[in-house]
Amino acid sequence: MINFAKKRLCKAKNKFLNGFLAIALAAVTLTSPASAAKDTLTIGIEADLARLDPHISTTWNTFKALLHMYEGFVAEDLLAVGVKTPPIVPALAESWEISADKKTYTFKLREGVSFHDGEPWNAKAAKFNLDRMTNPDFEFHQPGSVGLLSWVWGDLESYEIVNDYTFEIKLKQPNAEFLRRLSAGGSGTPRMISPAAVRKYGNDGINTNPVGTGPFKFGERKVGVETVLIKNNNYWDEKRVPQFQKLILRGIPEVTTRELGLLTGELDMISTPSPDSLEYLEAQGITLVKGPVSTIYPIWLNFREGPLKDVRVRRAMAMAIDREGMTKYLRRGTATPAYGILNYGGPGWDPEYRDFAYDPEGAKKLLAEAGYPNGFETRLDWTMGGGGDVNTRADAEWLQRDLGRIGIRAKIELFDNGTYWDMLAKGTREGTCCMQVSWGETGFFWLDLILPTTAQPPNGFNSGYYENPKMNKLLASARATSSEAEMVKILHEIRDIVTEDVAFIPLYTPIQVYAMRPEVKGFVLAPQHWADYTSVYKD
Amino acid sequence: MTRLIVNRIFATVLVLLGVSFVVFAALHFSPGDVARTILGLGATEERVQALRQELGLDRPLFIQFWDWLVALLRGDLGRSISLSVPVSDVISDKIWASLLLMGASFALTVSFGLLFAALSGGHHRSLLDRLITLLMLFLASLPPFSLGIILLIVFGLQLRIFPISGVGAMADDATVYVVAKHLFLPAVTTAVSSLAVVARVTRSAFIDEMGEPYVQAARARGHSEGRIITVETMRNVLPSFVTIAGLQIGFLFSSALFSEIIFNWPGIGLQLYQGILQRDFPVVQGCVLAIAIVFVIGNLLADILAIVLDPRRRG
Repeated sequence: MINFAKKRLCKAKNKFLNGFLAIALAAVTLTSPASAAKDTLTIGIEADLARLDPHISTTWNTFKALLHMYEGFVAEDLLAVGVKTPPIVPALAESWEISADKKTYTFKLREGVSFHDGEPWNAKAAKFNLDRMTNPDFEFHQPGSVGLLSWVWGDLESYEIVNDYTFEIKLKQPNAEFLRRLSAGGSGTPRMISPAAVRKYGNDGINTNPVGTGPFKFGERKVGVETVLIKNNNYWDEKRVPQFQKLILRGIPEVTTRELGLLTGELDMISTPSPDSLEYLEAQGITLVKGPVSTIYPIWLNFREGPLKDVRVRRAMAMAIDREGMTKYLRRGTATPAYGILNYGGPGWDPEYRDFAYDPEGAKKLLAEAGYPNGFETRLDWTMGGGGDVNTRADAEWLQRDLGRIGIRAKIELFDNGTYWDMLAKGTREGTCCMQVSWGETGFFWLDLILPTTAQPPNGFNSGYYENPKMNKLLASARATSSEAEMVKILHEIRDIVTEDVAFIPLYTPIQVYAMRPEVKGFVLAPQHWADYTSVYKD
Repeated sequence: MTRLIVNRIFATVLVLLGVSFVVFAALHFSPGDVARTILGLGATEERVQALRQELGLDRPLFIQFWDWLVALLRGDLGRSISLSVPVSDVISDKIWASLLLMGASFALTVSFGLLFAALSGGHHRSLLDRLITLLMLFLASLPPFSLGIILLIVFGLQLRIFPISGVGAMADDATVYVVAKHLFLPAVTTAVSSLAVVARVTRSAFIDEMGEPYVQAARARGHSEGRIITVETMRNVLPSFVTIAGLQIGFLFSSALFSEIIFNWPGIGLQLYQGILQRDFPVVQGCVLAIAIVFVIGNLLADILAIVLDPRRRG
């Protein structure tokens, strides 16, 4: 009897297990192994992609896929070597003319280009996309893109089809950065989707059936596992014809797993290995490609927090922080100190500029002068970071120590990245002196979100309530300039005022790292949050 | 017995209802605004308010909960914010992947847990008993996140026996062997500490039973020790074994979360983790709910099995 029961139990268990395997084999969509095949490139990135509709795309990681599938009028040339900022090059527009008043852009569209589904690219397709992004009455309007793309279309007055291959865009006021914004990505990107695909799959269907004109077309996606892109054999641009058939992007949040996958050959390339592993990876024959990225880690200072109302206290804090030591000993060469609010790779960045010198003794004196000889207590609200951020907690601890040396006793509280951005959107909370996220772009439009008084919460990310009305005017006039030299001049003025007011303490520019197997060649690291993989090949 | 089981099922339904409310409310009260998350950084306050109205976020909480529950019963978990596809599409595959991992680690937990318990409990105070006890103590205190990485370095990187991440090839050479190869390390990582707990508790049950008069009687009748352990005492050990094994389902879930992240196993835990990172409420809700349902049903099954196995609990 007992034996029987046991047997039955065992049998049931076996059945149970077999059932599991059978179900799993039938239902689970599984990842293909990173083949050692020459025609496949498998890249391990920091997180799975978000939605694939470019007009409402969100994360920097997602743009690593989007920039290979979709194109806009113009693009940043990510294959340009040795540049600080990627140059703007023609893409779906062959050329363009800008009117004398800098308000009308006439794009001559490239002929003979078709979307991956065979739909031709022309002025009608351009209008369809503009309608989708900006016209609330349009049948296929994408409501999410209004907010996400306001930094691109904020100055838009009107647009129209001139003829089959000519398209005109009118702005309300000149915008010195307009082409830069048209070429940018990340949070919403004005890239062109096949109108036929939108009609066929519907507005939401684009997320699962993305159809563009880029060097790769969509293959398949297993959410949480991988996204496969297939070479577009009809691609127009000889310079960007892929050297391999299949591009596989695998989101692997755990950095150790990414590194081990690279070492065993499951992955051909990874982004953002841990700074502590770099020496080991190199010793194993892994190629490291490093370079600065158009990003800055600035500290938001809370102007509503008692002591920080005094500029002397804010300056003392800035003088107390040892940025050079931080990049050298903590970041171990994966960052360079940042000076001034203008980020590397953005307009007006000046390698010679210096803001605050490291001077803890002077800082102490200044703090005493302001009436805080014994310092004060405060708090650092910090994020664990997302995407390419590495060990931001250690940054907070470094700052805690540096501030501690001049008597400012700061507690650290850590939050996940999503919550943290919400906190930033709500404004720095009482009792907190400092917050920080990585930001910065190849344009300066992000400054519009953090500096003007109009960007104070809940309308932006001037989260420390920095109050200088001059900012609003200066930023608007920088945008409205008609030449780059003029724009840069105003941006320098803005930078100097931010330094003078000690509204932010810039910390560092990260050096991004890609690690790849020795047989992977031809990779060009752009000073951007993403890279063009079309030039990569395997030896 | 039937009544007892019906009661348990009824209680389970109530628990599930409670869990779904907690899941709903927890995300409702967490900081952040869904409408703003959807619309992005540049959206104006009016647009955010308009979307809040459109999504029904301005209605009373209980009405929102009721609608959510009704939709849920139809299998509609809402749309993922970060992916703009139905949540059910996102997580359905993941549930199977997780169940596979859980099933494998549960099988390891119960089989090896019972084996070690019988070996050491059946030979109380022998050298074998002490060695196993020591080993179990060591395993029980091994956190999965460090064990997983150690296993990866030894068996994945150095010995190259097992792959590093993922589930294995499906399209090209879909075999049980390939999946099993990918499954082995995550399953071991998930199982180890639970296995040790099961072994230790069940060992005590064996030791108690081995001291009972009926065991002496069996010995007197000339039954072998092996038979006494596997047959005579086993029957009385089983109920406590089933109870402790059932309790491990919860622990296995939390261990599986770590294993899924370390081995990039595309299960519900990894999806939950990515959902949290991307602040994708509907996905987080769906994942938590799926985990809760499997957990509650797993415990229900263990309870029913214990009732069936143990005459004393049939009341």
